[in-house]
Amino acid sequence: MTNKSVTNWTSRDDAMVENAMRRGATRRDLLRMFMAGGVSLAAGGTILGRASAALAATPVRGGHFKAAGWSASTADTLDPAKASLSTDYVRCCSVYNRLTFLDETGTVNMELADSIDTSDAKVWTIKLKSGVTFHNGKSLTAADVVYSLNRHLDENIGSKVNSIAKQMVEIKAVDPLTVQITLVAANADLPTILSMHHFMIIAEGTTDFSTANGTGAFKVEVFEPGVKSIMVRNENYFKSGGAHLDSFEYFAISDDSARVNALLSGDIHLAASIKPQSIRLVESQSGFDLSTTTSGNYTNLNMRLDMSPGDKAGFIEGVKCLLNRELIQKSVARGLAEIANDQPISPMSPYYNAELKPRAYDPEKAKSLFEKAGLLGQSIPVVASEAATSSIEMATLLQQSGAEIGMKFDIQRVPSDGYWSNYWLVAPIHFGNINPRPTPDILFSLLYDTNAPWNESQYKSKKFDSMLVEARGELDFAKRKTIYDEMQVMVSNEAGTAIPVFLSNVDAKSSKLQGLKANPLGGQMGYAMAEYVWLEA
Amino acid sequence: MAPMFSKGFLPTPRHFGYHMNTVGICAAAMVCFWAVVAVIGPMLSPYPPGEIVDFDYYGPMSSTLWMGSDYLGRDIFSRILMGARYTVGISLAAVCLACFSGVVLGMTAAVVGGWLDTGLSRLLDALNSIPSKLFGLVMVAAIGSSIPVLIVLLGVIYTPGAFRFARALAVNINTMDYVTVARARGERTGYLIAQEILPNITGPVLADLGLRFVFIVLLLSGLSFLGLGVQPPNADWGSLVRENIGGLPFGAPAVLMPCLAIASLTISVNLLIDNLPVKIRDRSE
Amino acid sequence: MNMQISRLVLGRLGVAFVTLLIVSFVVFAATQMLPGDVVQILLGQAATPEAVAALREAMHLNDPAILRYGHWLIGLAQGELGNSYANDMPVADLIGGRLANTLMLAAVTAAVAVPLALFLGITTAMYRGSVYDRIITMGIVAVISVPEFMIATLAVLTFAVWLKWLPALSFANEVTSVTEMLRVFAMPVITLCCVISAQMIRMTRAAVIDALKMPYVEMALLKGASRRRMVLRHALPNAIGPIVNAVALSLSYLLGGVIIVETIFNYPGIAKLMVDAVSTRDLPLIQTCAMIFCLGYLLLITLADIIAILSNPKLRK
Repeated sequence: MTNKSVTNWTSRDDAMVENAMRRGATRRDLLRMFMAGGVSLAAGGTILGRASAALAATPVRGGHFKAAGWSASTADTLDPAKASLSTDYVRCCSVYNRLTFLDETGTVNMELADSIDTSDAKVWTIKLKSGVTFHNGKSLTAADVVYSLNRHLDENIGSKVNSIAKQMVEIKAVDPLTVQITLVAANADLPTILSMHHFMIIAEGTTDFSTANGTGAFKVEVFEPGVKSIMVRNENYFKSGGAHLDSFEYFAISDDSARVNALLSGDIHLAASIKPQSIRLVESQSGFDLSTTTSGNYTNLNMRLDMSPGDKAGFIEGVKCLLNRELIQKSVARGLAEIANDQPISPMSPYYNAELKPRAYDPEKAKSLFEKAGLLGQSIPVVASEAATSSIEMATLLQQSGAEIGMKFDIQRVPSDGYWSNYWLVAPIHFGNINPRPTPDILFSLLYDTNAPWNESQYKSKKFDSMLVEARGELDFAKRKTIYDEMQVMVSNEAGTAIPVFLSNVDAKSSKLQGLKANPLGGQMGYAMAEYVWLEA
Repeated sequence: MAPMFSKGFLPTPRHFGYHMNTVGICAAAMVCFWAVVAVIGPMLSPYPPGEIVDFDYYGPMSSTLWMGSDYLGRDIFSRILMGARYTVGISLAAVCLACFSGVVLGMTAAVVGGWLDTGLSRLLDALNSIPSKLFGLVMVAAIGSSIPVLIVLLGVIYTPGAFRFARALAVNINTMDYVTVARARGERTGYLIAQEILPNITGPVLADLGLRFVFIVLLLSGLSFLGLGVQPPNADWGSLVRENIGGLPFGAPAVLMPCLAIASLTISVNLLIDNLPVKIRDRSE
Repeated sequence: MNMQISRLVLGRLGVAFVTLLIVSFVVFAATQMLPGDVVQILLGQAATPEAVAALREAMHLNDPAILRYGHWLIGLAQGELGNSYANDMPVADLIGGRLANTLMLAAVTAAVAVPLALFLGITTAMYRGSVYDRIITMGIVAVISVPEFMIATLAVLTFAVWLKWLPALSFANEVTSVTEMLRVFAMPVITLCCVISAQMIRMTRAAVIDALKMPYVEMALLKGASRRRMVLRHALPNAIGPIVNAVALSLSYLLGGVIIVETIFNYPGIAKLMVDAVSTRDLPLIQTCAMIFCLGYLLLITLADIIAILSNPKLRK
């Protein structure tokens, strides 16, 4: 930050202004916002100028872009069906395309699809763009799409979205540029589902993923799992102009401070997902800034309703009251979080129920609830791990609040290795970490439906299940929202999942890197940044 | 030239008693200080170790927070007092375990020789070559996580090193004439080990113990990460450094103070060993 | 004499081979005991029970462990390391480049650390009790009592972030010239030297001091030999056994123990590969990495044993 004319103005606030502008705030709205925050009109103008410049600068062509994510392993893959780490998403996004994509406002746009139509939300017709070619020169046809989507249904492939893809009972090519998808039941969200990273389109018959033959803006030049990848611009890209960058190098530095240091020393242009505690360091150096996205990622405390002590009436309610959300937001996330109300739909979503207020921190109420449940004074084990972001810190805060009312929470820190298979969904009280999903339907079917594969608290409600099906087939937004609103209230009050805050993702970058915008699918522009960013000379 | 060595070879009367020099006394005082802190430290701490007392992070030293605040805004002074118990206690227990078993086995192997020697050496080599992270994970999986498990694990990890070192020393001593004479006298293995070998390798073994202590103090933080032993909100000093490493660019006391604590403990343990009264350290002189 | 030595060396190598067999069994058993199911981890959180069962069958995971151990051992003997569970690439391909990187870093570090440590160890023993000795002795304890990740981070902050002299990341494959190599290796090597030198210095010093107490050294002293001659000609040869042992142990750390340095400098070496493999439960990869560490370790200590025996005539029986 070189421009320090406003005291206490950090690039976090810059990001907030940019976010507000994207959400459609007018200049007057923003200036009013500044006045409320004690920023003078003149200074406010400067900030606005900077924010609009960031949004409207002209792209520069060329350059070699180096970026570092945080997760790498030898399991790195170029197979979109198996992608599970953020590094995989970034790589896949640069070499493949999806049928649709979500822009920064959460609206569905067409990418490889030219149009997606349905009359009953059950049978969908997808027209493909013509003239799209794969890196090897082959033209995109309906057969490629059918092949790509069918892979998710093949259990031997091990697709990460098998459970979502299962609703597609028939996928067939009608003509060379038309695909018809029949769903098991009506689902108005199909275009959004197809914008998920796993549903990228590969060429028919591809089985070897040591390199990638996609339609994307970049071609693979080097791919070494767990080490690095280098992509070069695809000159035959179907979108006009193509990528701005000549080449794009991506690798992972798992150590947080090492990642930040690599950025500050000029070795990389972008350090993805840095810890809130590193922000002060990045801001203290000139030539670097931050890109913040709040997209619905959260770490939650799961109390299973079918095991003690979660099965005792009042216990879950008590813990929800005992979570000091403001302190978690301030201390654990350093302000880079939005307070949540124990349900998984984030404020970014159009379906967010704004009426549902977060529970206030109320130790006295918690104490009386625990007393009623006969649990006060007992030692309650809570499983936490580095694997679930910030869970150890949250557990420590809960423990401390508990100590003040005579409730003993016994934190059991367990290894990150094997956490997801050994403790998550298993231990009576444990932490989970859920990545953003584009629709309420996906979140609820994945996490709260009676038969949900990840029913974290074993929440079972017939009413909830039927509302889920009803909303899925409802094409009218307002009616859908009413249903989802009520479902959010149900989850918040009845389920054993305490969701204290939505964590923001902060990417630190060199100021030379331009064009990076927030995206509801996650940091680094929903992992698709490579195609859109450019380097200023 | 000669006077340089006369100190060692021609003991002056002072060296017959348990005399210790100033450095040794200072080091001993420091070690005692930390031992006392380990016992009564938690009673002295101004705040509970898990409580967030500062809304700022990596806060500076102040009259209320003597050593500043950590990455969550917790009081570092209280956390160091609490961590002393784990760092001093666990490391000391583990290093004693490792050195005792390593040295005893090493001397036995050297004196007895033959198949016992070969067998023990191979077994411990095999043990040593398993990466400690893998080993730690397997231990947690097999018997769960607790402080005694952590101590045994650290002990087991460092036993082969102590064994190899002690054996290498003992093998050399074992070829000495006086050992051969003792053996010819028909002394039993226990006697040979305790009376002939041990006194002659005490110096290097103690020096080795001092270093091993340092390694264990540091390895502790790595194993805590695997979820072994020390559970939040408590933490050993190494973990305190690790969790606050982000404060290094700001010179935050949150990262420097635990480092100083580790250094003061490990350096004084080593200085104490180096300056032990000659009579204890080196009975051969 | 020559016959004796070659028989001895062969014997030692044979023993090392037996150890390797024991290790292979222990490693295999350890990987079987790792918590978490391989298939579950491979398929991720969304795995269905049918998919898990099918994959288990396909991977022969339902066979008895002893049978799989046999298969693996036979494969190993034929140089057939198998394919990685995680990405189906041949394990040899995954390890190849990284092993070279690790060996290169280890070689450079050893080339710097061993002479330095021997020099400091011998000179501190020669001037035992002097100010020089005290400073070095205290200095090395001070250096190793600082956690490795702190030294590495401090080095990066100083030389890469503030001074901008050196790159913060060490990519072994970008090395094209000698100066480039110096720049890339400087920080990892400094960090590793801080970690491994201490033990070598301390042990060298202790062993030389011990040797200096021997009657024959006293004899040499009485003969009027110079201090240098006394240490180098009389004491040192008898201290070689413990010294090479300490050196071997310290160097063995350079294979598998450099995980922190590899992580912070983003150096693609084999230690990080192993940690990755543990977290993805990539058993073939874990086993191969562990075997490589063991092999390296055994080679080093066998070499140390042989040197120790050769250096002490009394042991050459």
